[in-house]
Amino acid sequence: MKREHSQLDPPPPPPSCLAGPSGKGKMWEEEQTDGGGMDELLAVLGYNVRSSDMVEVAQKIEQLEEAMGAFQADGINHLATDTVHYDPSNLCTWLESMLTEFNPTMPAGLGLDPVPAPSVFDDSSFVAPAESSTITSLDFSHQRVLEEPSTSDYDLKAIPGKAMYGANNSQNSSNNYLSLSSASASSLSSSTTTRENKRLKTSEFYPPESTRPIVLADSQENGIRLVHALMACAEAVQQNNLTLAEAFVKQIRFLAVSQAGAMGKVATHFAEALARRIYGLYPQSPIDHSFSELLEMQFYETCPYLKFAHFTANQAILEAFDGKRRVHVIDFSMNQGMQWPALMQALALRPGGPPAFRLTGIGPPAADNTDQLQQVGWKLAQLAESIHVEFEYRGFVANSLADLDASMLEIKPSEVDSVAVNSVFELHKLLAQPGAIDKVLSVVKNIKPDIFTVAEQEANHNGPVFLDRFTESLHYYSTMFDSLEGSVNSPENHKAMTEAYMGNQICNVVACEGADRVERHETLAQWRTRFSSAGFIPAHIGSNAYKQASMLLALFAGGDGYKVEENNGCLTLGWYTRPLIATSAWKLAAKR
Amino acid sequence: MQQQQKEKKLKFFINDDIDILIEILKRLDGRSLCVAACVCRLWRTLARNDSLWEELCFRHVSSPPPSSVRPVVLALGGYKRLYMVCLRPVLSRLGLAELTSHRVKRTWTRDELQLSLSLFCVHYYERLGAAAAAGDTDRSLGECDASTSSLMFLCKPVNV
Repeated sequence: MKREHSQLDPPPPPPSCLAGPSGKGKMWEEEQTDGGGMDELLAVLGYNVRSSDMVEVAQKIEQLEEAMGAFQADGINHLATDTVHYDPSNLCTWLESMLTEFNPTMPAGLGLDPVPAPSVFDDSSFVAPAESSTITSLDFSHQRVLEEPSTSDYDLKAIPGKAMYGANNSQNSSNNYLSLSSASASSLSSSTTTRENKRLKTSEFYPPESTRPIVLADSQENGIRLVHALMACAEAVQQNNLTLAEAFVKQIRFLAVSQAGAMGKVATHFAEALARRIYGLYPQSPIDHSFSELLEMQFYETCPYLKFAHFTANQAILEAFDGKRRVHVIDFSMNQGMQWPALMQALALRPGGPPAFRLTGIGPPAADNTDQLQQVGWKLAQLAESIHVEFEYRGFVANSLADLDASMLEIKPSEVDSVAVNSVFELHKLLAQPGAIDKVLSVVKNIKPDIFTVAEQEANHNGPVFLDRFTESLHYYSTMFDSLEGSVNSPENHKAMTEAYMGNQICNVVACEGADRVERHETLAQWRTRFSSAGFIPAHIGSNAYKQASMLLALFAGGDGYKVEENNGCLTLGWYTRPLIATSAWKLAAKR
Repeated sequence: MQQQQKEKKLKFFINDDIDILIEILKRLDGRSLCVAACVCRLWRTLARNDSLWEELCFRHVSSPPPSSVRPVVLALGGYKRLYMVCLRPVLSRLGLAELTSHRVKRTWTRDELQLSLSLFCVHYYERLGAAAAAGDTDRSLGECDASTSSLMFLCKPVNV
């Protein structure tokens, strides 16, 4: 919408702000005006504007233009037809009526000095967007007092230190919120929820010289802002400054929507996790285990991480079982048993024929009381029969691996059975309970396996300081989401479920504490120390595994980014330079 | 005169000599074999013969596979399925696709074969799961067209 610059040049302020929205002026008849203080030049065009009001009229026209500029083109068509104007020649009142059309909450007087009224929050609408349907009453015992007249949410000057917003930026970003909130038509969708729109108070925050609202189109700059907002929010949480943290969470959500691609998704998940932490919403209603298994299946299918872990662990087990006639595998991470078909097939085809294969699967109880483990065992038995491998299966239900004892597992002496223990993404959960990991490692030692294969996330998400955990997990999951973006083959809903799978992990790392925080990932170096002090020595994973893993990754679309690396006998899978998953194999020190 | 010429032309008909036909089909590449299966009923029947596909699968392996492979592959669904679902996408992704126009063909090693077989086995296992979920375990797995998605990252499986 352009300003029509007229050739008229009357003494008082900008005559350029003439006929406001395009075409309206022409509809009005020219009226004879008397001299009573009316601006003569405008009177020629049919407008009755008192000379004394010219300044106000000019400012109102500017505001109107700004408000209209914030709309998309089709949002204002209704104004041309639906609004009723009384005495349109009176520019003052007309402008006011137009402005109130745009901004119903604005007081009629259009006070142009920012009078910050006490911010009253509509508490009931303050819910995390994704969970609004399930949460009806919130515990606000942790809620800070929000009615502080002098501080508003957007007074970002209050942020010390690392905050990246100077005074100008805070002004601009508040304008952003203003122009959002003044959209009575919800054609502006940039705010994440309409609830958020209603919550924003507009009446008291209308600065006199309003600059143009910043359109969030520069996504690179916003990406940087997003990261800074995330970090600042985490720092605020670390310092227990929860009001500030809340402000940042809103900011993050707003910025995240403008970011297409991985960064926006990661930021949204982290924002939700931070919100949960701030409002103490964790633990949420216990996640249905079968649903989380479904998510894990999608994760298995869309990205190579689980497949990598399975294939490399299988190769290590296969090599350890070389020449043995009876083998027994104990799987701490049974789930759907996706790891074992490939191993059975490899055993079936090995020179000398397949051994007798015994599998013990350990898993958590299923929510609906069905015997999931038995069903998995039945499928594996069918497969084994097809490929003529002697097969025996046992399923164990245990809430935690620490509940197990070696005696329960019916381990046969090593002359009879060659045993392997396998754990994929399970050991880190034990770190939540003190002493659990040591118990499990001692159980493994009692089993006396020929090989103990472990696959874990390669990250340190178990540090004592929240801010460090947050930073680490931000980098880690950003890389994971980046790698997921590259996989073009999966349909959208599968990708979404994979993202939900990772989102659950993010929520756990960021929002939970104590026994609830089970995603306590540790780095390979940390696990090495742990295993060594428990009495295990590393068994190097051979080059066959490396070759197979590299070939597997080459098959994935967008697979240029995946890198397999060898790290002192362990294999890591990473995205470009960042290792994400590490597989390692261990044997008992006594067995040489 | 014209009739005599016509009779001469009709004397040789490939479908009369199935052995020769099989020998020819054995030497085709995957795509041509699929095309051949669309020619007529006889050719379709012959093309469905799994041994043709077995030839195709192992044509460029540097060393012949052990005899134990065949029963396993047959149990998991047959060589045609192995080729269509696993081998062909694996080979093309790894840049080892046969080029019909050129005579240069890289041999591929046991590793690629092993990987393909593993993936094939996972695929079979998923079909088992899907069949069980459908509650129809009597139906032969060959008909089960469930959404076995663990190989989605390779390509959409095509039913030939």
